[in-house]
Amino acid sequence: MDTTTSIDAEEREREVVITRIFDAPRHLLFQAWTEPDRAARWWGPRGFVTTYCDMDVRPGGTFRVCMRSPEGADHWKQGVYREIVEPERLVFTFAWEDGEGKPSHQTLVTVTFAERGDKTELTLRQAVFETVEARNSHHRGWTSTLQRFAEYLAENR
Amino acid sequence: MSPDRLSTTFSALADPTRRAILARLISGEASVTELAEPFEMSLPAVSKHLKVLEHAGLITRGREAQWRPCRLKAGPLKDAADWLEHYRRFWEQSFDRLEDYLGELQGKEKKDGHDDEH
Repeated sequence: MDTTTSIDAEEREREVVITRIFDAPRHLLFQAWTEPDRAARWWGPRGFVTTYCDMDVRPGGTFRVCMRSPEGADHWKQGVYREIVEPERLVFTFAWEDGEGKPSHQTLVTVTFAERGDKTELTLRQAVFETVEARNSHHRGWTSTLQRFAEYLAENR
Repeated sequence: MSPDRLSTTFSALADPTRRAILARLISGEASVTELAEPFEMSLPAVSKHLKVLEHAGLITRGREAQWRPCRLKAGPLKDAADWLEHYRRFWEQSFDRLEDYLGELQGKEKKDGHDDEH
């Protein structure tokens, strides 16, 4: 696995990248991501309740999860696991379902768990792409275009 | 925003030349000739990129017969940025809950350990 230090700034910009240090050992974090009963406890914004959680955590296995908003609206998410390296790395596709149960725009999520003493550093990278195969050639730097555009909008308001 | 529309936006943005064109248009409208200047590219090649951008709704072309200026269009780029921001919020909020949940789990584990000492 490439280390986080080797990822250049441009590569970071093309994806959603979130890093957070959790005050918990790495195996607990990995369980929280890979055991349905545990994932159901946290996966979704505050106030949302997981009403369905099916996770077949192995390469090629699928997941399908429903979370219900405080207003009672159901949001289904689904994906396919690509890589499972216990306890350090998870790779899966992720998409919200549309009204007909079909996946909307696909993304690729890579989660890494690194030991930091008694704590664990989690890094989540979510890439936007049309196909998994296109991931490496596409979208380099596109989010920086979005950032520039956001600045433009702010200036011209 | 429909997924198809989003895919169109992202695939239009996937090309560095097209991103450079958009970046140029942030500073104001421009003709095809002006847009072609920084690139070692023929006018037809640039026109092809402009068609992709126009199809994705990222730019509009003026009606003026001769120079048909290109202008940046706010909608789709803004939607794509919002979409990305939505995901960021989704994870950040999930991680807040994950933090609480892990605390809860370990609190329980610690308490159990404490009880064992009695």
